[in-house]
Amino acid sequence: MQELVTEVTCLMFVWVNMSESVAKKRSGSSGLSAISRETIENLTELDDLERVYQQLCDEEKQVESELESLVSQQGNIETKMLALQRMGPNLQLIEGDASQLSGMITFTCSLAENVSSKVRQLDLAKNRLYQAIQRADDILDLKFCTDGVQTALWNEDYEQAAAHVHRYLSLDQSVIELSRQGGESSAVDASLALLQEAEQRLKTLVKERLDQAITAGDLAQVERFFKIFPLLGLHDEGLARFAQYLCTQLASKAEENLLLALGGDLGERRAGLMFADTLTLLLEGIARIIETHQPIVETYYGPGRLYTLIRHLQVECDRQAEKIVDKFIQQRDYHNKFQIVQNSMIRSMSTEKIEPRELDPVLLEVTVMNSRAELYLRFLRRRISADFEVGDATAPKSTMQEHQQGLEKLLKHCLLSRNMQELIGYYIPMEEYYMRETVNKAVAMDTYEKGQLTSSMVDDSFYIVKKCISRALSSSSIDCLCAMINHATSVLETDFREVLYNKLRQGFPATTLQDIQRGVSSAVSLMHSSLQQGKFNTLGIESAEDAKASFLVTLNNVEVCSENIITLKKNLENDCAKLFSQGFGSGEQAQAKIDSCLSDLVSTSSKFKDLLQEGLTELNSTAIKPQVKPWISNFLSVSHNIEEEEFNEYEANDPWVQQFIVNLEQLMAEFKAGLSPVIYDTLTGLMTSLISLELEKTVFKCTFSRLGGLQFDKELRSLVAYLTTVTTWTIRDKFARLTQMGTILNLERVTEILDYWGPNSGPLTWRLTPAEVRQVLALRIDFRSEDIKRLRL
Amino acid sequence: MSMEDYDHLFKIVLIGNAGVGKTCLVRRFTQGLFPPGQGATIGVDFMIKTVEIRGQKVKLQIWDTAGQERFRSITQSYYRSANALILTYDITCEDSFRCLPEWLREIEQYANNKVITVLVGNKIDLADKREVSRQRAEEFAEAQNMHYLETSAKEADNVEKLFLDLACELIQEAKQNVLVNNDVSVMPGEGRSISYLNCCSFR
Ligand SMILES: Nc1nc2c(ncn2[C@@H]2O[C@H](COP(=O)(O)OP(=O)(O)OP(=O)(O)O)[C@@H](O)[C@H]2O)c(=O)[nH]1
Ligand SMILES: [Mg+2]
Repeated sequence: MQELVTEVTCLMFVWVNMSESVAKKRSGSSGLSAISRETIENLTELDDLERVYQQLCDEEKQVESELESLVSQQGNIETKMLALQRMGPNLQLIEGDASQLSGMITFTCSLAENVSSKVRQLDLAKNRLYQAIQRADDILDLKFCTDGVQTALWNEDYEQAAAHVHRYLSLDQSVIELSRQGGESSAVDASLALLQEAEQRLKTLVKERLDQAITAGDLAQVERFFKIFPLLGLHDEGLARFAQYLCTQLASKAEENLLLALGGDLGERRAGLMFADTLTLLLEGIARIIETHQPIVETYYGPGRLYTLIRHLQVECDRQAEKIVDKFIQQRDYHNKFQIVQNSMIRSMSTEKIEPRELDPVLLEVTVMNSRAELYLRFLRRRISADFEVGDATAPKSTMQEHQQGLEKLLKHCLLSRNMQELIGYYIPMEEYYMRETVNKAVAMDTYEKGQLTSSMVDDSFYIVKKCISRALSSSSIDCLCAMINHATSVLETDFREVLYNKLRQGFPATTLQDIQRGVSSAVSLMHSSLQQGKFNTLGIESAEDAKASFLVTLNNVEVCSENIITLKKNLENDCAKLFSQGFGSGEQAQAKIDSCLSDLVSTSSKFKDLLQEGLTELNSTAIKPQVKPWISNFLSVSHNIEEEEFNEYEANDPWVQQFIVNLEQLMAEFKAGLSPVIYDTLTGLMTSLISLELEKTVFKCTFSRLGGLQFDKELRSLVAYLTTVTTWTIRDKFARLTQMGTILNLERVTEILDYWGPNSGPLTWRLTPAEVRQVLALRIDFRSEDIKRLRL
Repeated sequence: MSMEDYDHLFKIVLIGNAGVGKTCLVRRFTQGLFPPGQGATIGVDFMIKTVEIRGQKVKLQIWDTAGQERFRSITQSYYRSANALILTYDITCEDSFRCLPEWLREIEQYANNKVITVLVGNKIDLADKREVSRQRAEEFAEAQNMHYLETSAKEADNVEKLFLDLACELIQEAKQNVLVNNDVSVMPGEGRSISYLNCCSFR
């Protein structure tokens, strides 16, 4: 059929086209040519006539050809017409089929319409049926509940009664409303009224009975009625009343504990911590209560309700904790102690002073109290978070955030926290005072025992600093710990370092040559050490010997301090890691704070290192340089322009280097004994640099013969050999220039240098410039300057 | 000194009465937001932001202290190592302005003498509730040798400027310090005042 339709359409198209074009031609030949008849009649000129005639002839030709082409199409058209005629009956058939189809479709459509409306009706009917069943059920339930409640109430079976009310409350309220409007309205109404009345009665009853149980302190009854509240939709009220019961229990126990503590019947040992102990009892008690009652709350009230219970409990906790804190402040004279400390820190010459040792117990007690509070709050956080997590599993994000905020607020801003923050607020300045005062005392009582490298102040002070920071750490308060680390940094960097600095500034007394030569270390009056005059005797140093010892001990002290600070930081890092692993100090913030404070602390270590360097430089320039320089100058008075005879004489009777070594040995003996190996090594390093520099300068002032050069080479070897034994530094490097000078002075001929120079230098790296090489060569009296000039270096 | 990726490290400590908006200023600068329902700070909060100033990476360690009295002793322990202090008050709260001399005494007592102090009047978005005139605050700041700037943490007004200008000045100061230190070795405890050229203006 499709094909047929296409064919017909096609044919019709052809036909239409044809008739159109024929119509056009017809109208064209009926005079509507480009030139009208009037135009022709009006023509008078021959030219015009000819032109128009020509035009008309053209037109005629064109029309003729068009006609021809049309006529030639006639056969074609006829065939098509024939085909069309043959199709006629087919078309009639199609029309019949189509109208039949249309009828069928209309029928199906109305049928479907019919069916679907029936289905809709059916569905509606089904729904209504369900509703009816539900309603019937509900009404039955309602009746059942009504009867049940009555009986249960009569039997004082409150659980059962509540279960019925709960069932009623969970019925669809709109259905109940519908039932009342329906046929059985009066019956339902009656039931409802009864039920509502029962509900109210039950609510009142349960509240009454719970209150009675609370008053009687009857835990079993309290729990019994507590469980009924959520069935009546009274979650918050139930929790509040239950919490009230728990609070009463808690309060009486806490008051009892506090009285007991104040009664003073405790053993001596715990008396110092009695408030901390009482607070601990309180907080542990609450934790135990929560632990005990959490299951019942979870079971009967569902998850997410623990927060509400704890919020109520916290009110009592705050109240009881405040009582303990108040008593603590009063009995320990806490505020007064703080005031005295504050005054003496602001004005150092305060009349009233407190002995740091007296603060020990109270400082300890505060940190114990705070750590207990932190422990307790951490417990609350864990429990409440876990409970919320279950309760809020499907809750929207905003609810979760709201709960989180509530939790934070409860923990951070509860009165217990505020009270603890206040105690810690006073604790920090007192601990700082304790640290400063005790360190100052350790400095003032500094003693040094012979044979020891450091004096007592270092160990003592670090012991104190460590003790104070550890105590702050034991409070479990990150901010408190950070504050004390800051103060420790300040004490070490200013107070303590300053003391050491001032000691070093008094300088190392210059030793006279005679002292050295006598090889004595006796107490010589300082009067003639004019160099350092005015710097002495400020701290009652009586002798040069003491001053020297003091200086060396101080250097050791400085070094140990720098080491101790690094150790202190490492230990604190470990301790903090432990604290964090226990869950204290929530999150990265705390870690970042501690890290920052610790990095400040450890940076003081390098300040001590700088101080050590300064001190050593000072020692080198006051105690070593003035001695060593003349000893090296002596080299000048030993002629190196020598012949065989003198060379042998020197061989038998060393003119310089042996004495120099002996002198050095004596000079350094004192330092070797008095300084720690590390510092001594640094000092010998400075000394060898000094020697190589000075000796080089001196050599440039001398003249040498061939044997003189040999002599110098020998002397240099002895010196290097000796210095190698006294230090771990690589001496050869420091003496490289001198050694090379020795090599040059030892040459046979000027040109021999070329065996060692440039491409021939082999593994040797020259430290002397070509100019310096020439300069050294010139020191040899037997080398001609023309030869030296001629050298190509 | 360390391998970390910055050219300068500065400590900035914010101080001032409770509720003047210190935490909001810091959060605006470091996180670009104005926190709704910002609770009082407990102890100190610590935040880091690295900024780039003329090609130099500057790491700012920002200590946001609690204004409430009971945290004062914690706060005080941070003054000494601070390179700069931002002393904040609330322009809609006369009381917070009147407490400034007390804060200055604290600075005098605990901070090092090289510290740069900026006075900040916050909450200028609440213009109709203003209690402290700009002129009065400017005069006070001038008398105390402080820079003065008015901000709104809420509207992000002048907050960037506050911290960036401060960073700028700290860089200048650090450079001067290096110069002076190369000149003479400084003895501990010998305070020196350093004059520097202003690279950024606070006004
Ligand atoms: N309108 C306005 N309110 C602000 C602005 N800055 C802060 N606040 C509000 O002021 C209150 C206190 O802001 P905080 O940033 O917590 O104040 P704070 O100085 O950190 O307070 P403490 O931590 O207790 O010392 C909050 O309610 C803020 O919303 C401001 O620029 N404009
Ligand atoms: Mg804050």
